[in-house]
Amino acid sequence: MKRLLRVSLLCVFVSGCGGIQSPLAPAGDQAAALHGLLLLMVAVCGVIYLLVLGGLAWSLWRRRPAAAGDNEPSDAALGRGLGVTAGVIVAGLTVLIVGSFLADRALFATRAQPAMEVRVTGHQWWWRIEYRDAAGRWIETANELHLPLGRTTRVLLGSADVIHSFWVPNVAGKIDMIPGRRNLLDLTPRRAGWYRGQCAEFCGAQHAHMALDVKVEDATTFDSWLAEQGRPAAAPAGPRAAQGAAVFAGPCGICHAVRGTPAAGRAGPDLTHLASRRSIAAGTLPMSRGGLQGWIAQPQALKPGTSMPAVPLRPADADALSSYLTTLR
Amino acid sequence: MIFVRPPGPVSPALTRRAPCWAAPLLVAVLGGCSSEARQLGPTAPQTRPISNADPRIPAYQANVYQVAQGGRYFGWYGCGGCHAEGATGVLNLGDTQWKHGDGFADLFTAIADRHGRLAYDRRVPVEVLWQLTAFVRDLPAHKAEKRMRTARDQKAEPQGATWSGPQ
Ligand code: HEC
Ligand code: HEC
Ligand SMILES: [Cu+2]
Repeated sequence: MKRLLRVSLLCVFVSGCGGIQSPLAPAGDQAAALHGLLLLMVAVCGVIYLLVLGGLAWSLWRRRPAAAGDNEPSDAALGRGLGVTAGVIVAGLTVLIVGSFLADRALFATRAQPAMEVRVTGHQWWWRIEYRDAAGRWIETANELHLPLGRTTRVLLGSADVIHSFWVPNVAGKIDMIPGRRNLLDLTPRRAGWYRGQCAEFCGAQHAHMALDVKVEDATTFDSWLAEQGRPAAAPAGPRAAQGAAVFAGPCGICHAVRGTPAAGRAGPDLTHLASRRSIAAGTLPMSRGGLQGWIAQPQALKPGTSMPAVPLRPADADALSSYLTTLR
Repeated sequence: MIFVRPPGPVSPALTRRAPCWAAPLLVAVLGGCSSEARQLGPTAPQTRPISNADPRIPAYQANVYQVAQGGRYFGWYGCGGCHAEGATGVLNLGDTQWKHGDGFADLFTAIADRHGRLAYDRRVPVEVLWQLTAFVRDLPAHKAEKRMRTARDQKAEPQGATWSGPQ
């Protein structure tokens, strides 16, 4: 029983080491620099720890020279020991300072080069994401960040309400998103795959449901994805989707934009290519027809406190609406 | 050398009772918490207020959180486009002159039904209309200083077509 407990405890700790949301499995240059710094720190602190324990053992073991009269006895070995200790402290600190300096240089190495710009704005409780394409046009999406493999992307971080924090641990360190300020973060991913980010600064009731899906893909796939995101929504195919689009224009278009239709609200996420995303409402639900229908019917039940209100709809309208939303690929 | 605490009575400082005013103070401080209580969970089915004395009104009008949500939606639904700071006559919502009455249900009706083709009764969910009404009724109590602070807070919030957030 005890053994089982110990093994499962170990599993819990070690399971954090790999995976899609971990600084210990770096998938980009910036994360690798920080990972290297972390390993250096663990090594230096490990050596210091062993030395301290060794010194302690030595002091317990050795015999103190007998006192001669009132004077403190001279102790040559102790003097030498103290000298070595001071030397080791200075050396350890020097190694750490140099390591931290080099990691810092690596993080900012790309700053002077041109890079693709992406604006990420924190909202309670979702992420607005805008890409600047080659023509200088801003292309908007939400809650899912795509990054080209091996190219540097410059993320411009802002906030529309309270302080949030952008952290995709596999790709880079974390930086706060502060209202009225612009913070910059360069990302150079080196390993393709899906990763997960999470708001890292408590920002209200649904802070825990403010996740970010991140996909690193090769440059050509990325370019065609971005071109696809830049296109306006396709005209609704079929009468049901058309009915859904008509329903959407009334109560939903005030807050949401679907490019290519009159819906142009900016209070909520851009839904032009909603169905191409992996999850709904910043990682709250997986993307599916049922998930969308549930979200529209009762957002306050799924994400209590969210600023998306429940819009009363007739069942037939709600059904048409969700089938329209699934066509927004 | 190991120090051992001499046996004896515990120092009186450690056993002193809390002063008699502590409990009322705690009650007063915590009492403030309920003024912005949030109802978390599914939205209750909502209908319009039945009269100016509808028993559901205090849950919105006396709740700072609901009033603040109303303020947020006021910007999102573009109400400021016509009822901005400095608007005059019937458009000024900061004076205490209400054309159609100052009751909760009166103002609810003014928002929902008196905006012609904007058709807020159809386009704005009922619960949001409750929050907007509570906010509008709260407006005359906002002093210049508070209005300035709110404007600054909401500067980055999306405002319909007039988005002024981080560019
Ligand atoms: C008052 C503004 C408002 C209205 C009206 C509104 N929404 Fe939303 N919506 C939001 C906000 C804000 C969010 C982000 C919520 C969150 O993630 O916390 C959102 C999120 C969503 C999402 C998830 C988007 C994503 O990227 O995952 C969908 C889908 C959605 N809304 C559909 C609708 C539909 C359909 C309607 C009409 C029935 C509607 N909304 C009406 C504000 C609104
Ligand atoms: C296109 C301009 C316009 C917009 C946008 C607008 N209003 Fe109005 N509002 C008016 C006009 C005009 C009146 C006067 C109606 C009348 O005389 O009956 C009015 C009246 C009102 C009144 C009643 C004032 C009184 O003295 O009784 C309230 C309250 C109000 N609006 C709130 C809102 C809210 C809340 C919104 C956003 C959801 C909004 N308005 C959006 C133009 C607008
Ligand atoms: Cu956040």
